[in-house]
Parts: sequence; structure tokens; C-alpha cells
Amino acid sequence: MEIGSPPGRETMPAVCLYFQVHQPYRLNRYSYFDIGSDKEYFDTELNRSIIQKVSERCYVPTNRHLLQLIRRYKGAFKVTFSITGTAVEQMKRWAPEALSSFQELAATGCVDFLGETYYHSLAALYDKDEWCEQVGLHSEMMAREFGVRPTVFRNTELLYSDEIGRAAAALGFSGILAEGIDDVLGWRSPNFVYRVPETETKVLLRNHKLSDEIGFRFVSHKDGDGRSLTAKRYASWIHSLTGNADLVGLFLDYETFGEHLGKDTGIFEFLNDLPASVLAHQDWRFSTAGEAAEHLQASSELSFPRLTSWADISRDDSTWRGNRMQNSSLLRTYDRSEFSGQVDCLQESTRSMVETWRRLQTSDHYYYMSTKGGGDGVVHQYFSPFESPYDAFISFSNVMKDFTRRCRECQAMEPLPVVGRVEEIFGIYQGGEK
Amino acid sequence: MDFALYAPYNPNTREPVPYIRSPMKILMLGWEYPPHIAGGLGTACQGLTTALANQGIDIHFVVPQLFGNEQAAHMSLFDAEKRLAVGSQDPGPISQPVTVATGVPTSRIPAFLTPYWSPEQFKDALAAITHQHVASLNPALRKDPIARALIDGEICGIDLLTALEHEQPILRATDGKSSGRYGSDIFEEVERFTMQVVSRFANDQFDVIHAHDWMTFPAGVALSESTGRPLVVHIHSLEHDRSGLLVNPQINEIERFGLSQADKIVAVSYFTKRSIEIHHHIPGRKISVVHNGVYAQEVGTEARSRKSWPKHVVLFLGRVTFQKGPDYFVEVASKVIPHIPDVLFVLAGTGDMLPAVKERVRQLNLSDNFMFPGFTQGDELEELFSVADLYVMPSVSEPFGITALEAISFDTPVIISKQSGVSEVIEHALKVDFWDVDRMADLIINALQHPELRHDLAAMAREELKRLHWDAAALKTIEVYQDVSREDPATWR
Repeated sequence: MEIGSPPGRETMPAVCLYFQVHQPYRLNRYSYFDIGSDKEYFDTELNRSIIQKVSERCYVPTNRHLLQLIRRYKGAFKVTFSITGTAVEQMKRWAPEALSSFQELAATGCVDFLGETYYHSLAALYDKDEWCEQVGLHSEMMAREFGVRPTVFRNTELLYSDEIGRAAAALGFSGILAEGIDDVLGWRSPNFVYRVPETETKVLLRNHKLSDEIGFRFVSHKDGDGRSLTAKRYASWIHSLTGNADLVGLFLDYETFGEHLGKDTGIFEFLNDLPASVLAHQDWRFSTAGEAAEHLQASSELSFPRLTSWADISRDDSTWRGNRMQNSSLLRTYDRSEFSGQVDCLQESTRSMVETWRRLQTSDHYYYMSTKGGGDGVVHQYFSPFESPYDAFISFSNVMKDFTRRCRECQAMEPLPVVGRVEEIFGIYQGGEK
Repeated sequence: MDFALYAPYNPNTREPVPYIRSPMKILMLGWEYPPHIAGGLGTACQGLTTALANQGIDIHFVVPQLFGNEQAAHMSLFDAEKRLAVGSQDPGPISQPVTVATGVPTSRIPAFLTPYWSPEQFKDALAAITHQHVASLNPALRKDPIARALIDGEICGIDLLTALEHEQPILRATDGKSSGRYGSDIFEEVERFTMQVVSRFANDQFDVIHAHDWMTFPAGVALSESTGRPLVVHIHSLEHDRSGLLVNPQINEIERFGLSQADKIVAVSYFTKRSIEIHHHIPGRKISVVHNGVYAQEVGTEARSRKSWPKHVVLFLGRVTFQKGPDYFVEVASKVIPHIPDVLFVLAGTGDMLPAVKERVRQLNLSDNFMFPGFTQGDELEELFSVADLYVMPSVSEPFGITALEAISFDTPVIISKQSGVSEVIEHALKVDFWDVDRMADLIINALQHPELRHDLAAMAREELKRLHWDAAALKTIEVYQDVSREDPATWR
């Protein structure tokens, strides 16, 4: 037992700061009359300008702040990232300084990286083989770029169910992230660690109230002097949980820093002051997701009766599967028969086809088709490069038609089974399984 | 915009709560009232006054003529002779009900009818502009006299050609008593209405005068000057919208006069507001936008089985005139048909461009995929709306565009031009610049190929329609009334 822990607790309570880093390959406005032409599916110019803008405003400056904080607190301040493959690819191509700043953070040893699907896809809901493969691809990429093998998993947009939890456990992950939703938790607190039913894999929950104070309500907390939320005030909310918490999961979109909340909001000052404010209470410390999953005791099994996510007010899958356009697009994407089996083909000549198919799986494409109104609709529109959800659907549908056509054209190719590949990638995890 | 925010509701009864306690009295000047209407103006006046009355506003509504079967129990409806309509509210001992014998032959041209000239004048005057548009379709039609026949400014397809087919066109509804000359000159009619209104209503008590479209502006201005009461003018459509390049200078002048003399202007859309600013140089702060409402109807789907229709039906409904963009409808069809062979393009309505449009369809060899039912109404109209997979409104200039809302009320998804007022109030529509034929074809092809797209569009638009009720329009209109009642009128002029 560590010094300072309250009686009966084995560990000091910890804050787990995790940031999501993702950029999709946004589609061009693709007309029906572009089908059969050579027009690019993806809007290279837009994607380049967005990753450069976000790198300049968010990734590079925020990473610099984090690096300073990590050095200043000599191991007492730690953070966790999850970075998608599509984001890493685009950084590599258009914003190498951003990628190297993440690599620099990785080298400190105080930064943990989560596993997820390389393409930020919804494959978990449609195609388990494909999901495994994308998780494997992501794991390989993390080892290659950052020298780490993720031990904790987060599914796209924190989409979680017992089934997904078990699938992550089967791949050997020691923990998985999920949204701490009131109706799922009931009387239980999101500030403890739980276990995926019938496995040893831990469930780390997002404290959505405290996370959203930063992500969505930061500027509305202005005090009398017009200053935004201060780290000191925020830390006092965390400290009020002392004795009733093992782990407070603050899970945020990384673009909160500098992009959604510009530097004039005081968000960087908040970040700079946060470690000292949290550590001012002797009981509290910071923990990465990997450490938490490894060291914290699960208080019980936790079963999720429904599919959950961290998105929108409903915190479910309706963000991507809320209307018929979204559902039919997803079914078409994951209907391998549509592509005559060609996407299974991993011969060198068709690799780019498989890659394209996977880039089309990125959840953002379906997100742009959401017809939700109200506050959710405003957020969707903020992110969408299209004029309307209908425009998003039409461009996507036209691209899929062209893609199907191209698949049929290369039918001469001999398809290879996908299964062998999965085993190859997950060889590393097989040993860890019981 | 969430219109519910504007409407105070009684939480127990879910009924709107009257906005004003002491009834405000409005003298309203119109040109037509249901059921004797030629288009959108009368319907809009009915919807607006009904909702205003629900808010406790006392309305005296004056039209040039009554027919005896008007139903307006929510207000007092007069003709210009101050005779009260039978089916309207009796304001007290100020007037005698008028009864008009039924069966009196009346033939009429719509109220928006642009210049109200003689047919000869129509043809001559139109030659210049028609020449340009007809020429763009087919050189062989340039000299076709029918192709040069002129059009009115109606919303729903009545036009001069229709009128000519029936009777010698006369100005507007009349029982034959008020005018010996049957109004061969619209300006005489307007002047007579002005004189009558001033002589009979100037001594009445009211808070605000509210005049609808240019025909009533002279009466509104005159009444305002003689009584000192503030004047609100309401623009449902501008001469510029109706006539494109062929603006009648006299109407334009009357319109400008009314707009400049008014204390406040109500426009049916931001699109119309901008037009008023540009064409009449009126400062925007004087103009309030009040979008029309709609009464959503529940319509069965049995119409579809009445006749065997092809797999896909795309509908255009409106006057076949420059303003409505029928030529773009044909061009877009020629791009869609090669990809969706089993599609029928229905172009319903008549107008000066119809012959040229038909010829263009022949020329493009698309006759098998086209149907021209002419002017339609009643059951036939309902059938068209319900069998259509898509309603397309490629208008070049559309102050509002109520037909798009009608289509939505039949669960038909709509493609509307960005140059329309209705695109400001309906988010769940496919929107396109009227000239962007490739884009429009892309939208149509995808909508026809994907029932899920049509479903989501129609379902979401229907929800929007529910919010677009006349109560919201009434509350905004009341704000305008309150503004002009407070303001010193001199500061606006």
C-alpha cells in the first residue's frame, strides 16, 4: 500500500488523461458523371490543408506544452494518446513536424499509446475479420512509428459492447476504454475500474461530466473577471472525489486544445496549470491507461446492455447509423460480395484497392450523413466538408459505384483468403492468450 | 430556427396563448380571397389572417369583390363597397351583408397577372423577351405567335393561354355591376379600388393598415395619409420576379411608391428582401422577413394505384415561364434519361414557353419520357404529387415557392433551386443553382437510385413542415405592427 492512500484502498487515486488524434481522408465532391473517370476519390488539397492547419494550431503547440510538463514533473505527469493510421499517414506526408513531435513524446516514457482500428472504422459492427486485421495493422504501425505495442484498446469513437470487449480481450489487450454512461452504470461509479465479463481485461471508463467540462463547457465557465475555467477550480472538482475514486478518466478529442478551443480561450494556460493543481492534493497522481489496466483492481464485472459510444447526446451508434442513408451505405461498404471478393485479394497489384476500401470505411464518412438536428446537428455540420448530409451521401454513393466498377474490372486476379493474414499479424498476441 | 420559441403555449391545453391582450385592429387590403383565388396570394392571406385572429388581432379585410360564398369567420371581410361577406364576422352595425347571385358568368385572369394588357399588347410586348428564350431553345420557334403569347405571374400554372382558351379574358372577377368596361385596364381597377377604400374606410378606427402586393399599395398609401395611421406593405412577389427583364414600368413605379411610403415592409423571404433592396433601393432595416406558413395535410397514398405509372416519376409543376426554369428541367432530363431509362418527366402547367419546351423535347428525342398534362388541379394535382418520386423546382427567381411545401406534404422529396425563398425555410431538400444542370442531374439520378435518400429527405422535411405553421408568421407580423405603432413614421421615410 502506498503512503497517503485512504484506509482500505490499495492505490492512490489517479487521473488518466487520454487524447484522441484522428484525421480522415475526406472525399471529393464526386458526381455521378465522374464515375468511370480518373477523378480522385479523396480531396487531397482539403486533407492537406486541414492536417497542416490542425498541426499548426493543435498538435505541434500542444505537444510542446506536454513535453515541457513531462520534463518539469519528472515522471509524475503522464498522458495517453490514441492516433489513427490515417492521421499518421497524413502527418507523414504533409506535416512531418507534427509526427516527430509525437515521436518525441513517445521517447519520454511517460506517454502511453492505445490500440484501435488503423482506419478509425466501424468494422467492429460489421466484419470481425476486417476489424482484427485493422487492429493488427494499427499495432504494427505503432511499433514502427513510435516503438510501442499498445496494451490497451479503444474502439472507434468509444463504441463499446460486451462483444467488442470480449473481442479485444481475445486479442490480448489488458484493458479497453468505454464511455461511463449513467444508464449502463446504474448505482455504480465511473471512477472505478471494471472487468469485461468472463475475462481479465479491464474496462476503463470515461468520466463524461468532468471530460465535457473541458471539451464542451470550458468557455461557459467564465468567472467574474471573464477568465475561463481555471485548472485550480477544475482540480478541486477532482479532489472532491477523494476516497470515492480509483481512476478519473478524462478522455478528450485532442483538437480541443488550440483547434476547437483557440489559444485565446486560455486552454493552454489551463493545460499548463493542470498537473500542479491535480498534484497539489497529496493523494492524487497521474496514470496512463496501460498502467491503470495493469495495476488497478477491477471492482467487479461490468456488462453493457447496449451499444455505447462517446458521441452525441444519445451516446450510442445513432451518430453513424441513425438514418437509412447511413445504414445502407454501411451495408454496401461491408458487403464483400459487392466487390466480387476483390478486396480480400492481397496481391501486390490490388493492395491499393484494399487500402481504398479501408479508407472508405472511416467512420467520418457516415458521420457526415447524419440528419440529426439540434446541438448534435450543429456539431456534425462543424466537422462536415459537405453542404448537407444528402450531399455527403451522394458523393459517397457515387464513389462506391466507381469503386465497385473498378473491383469488377480486376476480377481476373486470384483472391487470397484473409484469415492467414490475421493470424500472421496477431501472432504476437496469441502467446499472451490463455 | 425553432419557431416554437416564438409561440407561447398554454402548457395544459397545448393551445397558443393570445399574444396581445387588448385587441389590435388592423385594416387589411387584399386583392383576392378563397375560394375565389388565382394562386398563392389569396391562400397566403387566409393563412396569415387566421393565425393573426388566433392571436387576438381584430382584422377588417377589404378585397375589390365578393362572391357570396367566402368563409372567413375569424375576421370581417368586406368588398370595396364596404359590404360584408356572409361567412365572415359581423363587426357591428357598420355595414350590410352582400349577397351575390350565383351563376353569374365570370371569367378572370389571376391577380398577379403581370401587365393586364390586351392579348395584342401581351404578344407585342413579350416578343422581345420571348424571342431571346425561344431562340435559346429552338430557332424554328422564334416566329411562332403562340410561343410569344404572354403569361401571368401566378404560382400554380394558370396563365393567359388558359384564359384565352376559355373566354375573352377580362380583368378579374366581377359581377358585371361595378365596372361597365370589365377592367380592360388594371390601373383603372386599382384606382377605383383606391377611391372606394378611402371614401368608405377612412373614418373607421384601426391601428395599422396592412396592404398586400402592388395592386393595393395606392389605396394603402392614400388611407395612411388621410388617417395618419401607419402603413405596412407586404410583398408576396415583385414585378421583377414575375416579369424578369420585361418589367412593366408603371407597375414597377406603383410598387416603388408603396415601398417608399410604407412605414415598414414585410417580405416573404430573404430572397425577396434582397430583391427589394436591389431593385427599389430600399434600406434593409425597413424590411422584415415573414416566411409563409403551411397547413400540413394528411394525404393517402391510394392515388398511386389509380393508374399505372412508370417506375420513376419526376415532377415539375408551375407556370411554364422563364421565371420557373422549365427549360432547365428539360436539359436535366436529357442528362438523366440515358442512365435511368424507365423514368417519366412530368411537366405540368402552361405558359409562354410551353411550345418551345415541347419542341425541345422532340428535338432531343425524349418524347417517350415526357408527359405534358397542362394545367392541373384537384384530384389530378393530388395524384401527380403523390405518384412523383421527386419534385423539382428549378426556378430562376422564386419569392417563396409554396408548391415545394405542397410536395413535401405529400411525402415527396424536393429538389429546389437556391434562388428561391423556400430554400431558406426547408433545410431537408436537395438544393442546387438553377443553372447547374450537371449537378441537378447528379441529384436526380441518385435520388431515383436510392430510395433511402428519398425516404430520409421526405421524413425530415415533413418534420420541418410541422414547424412551419402560420402561428410563427403571425407572431412576427405582430412584431411589425408593434414596431410601426411605436415608431414615429417620419423616421422611416
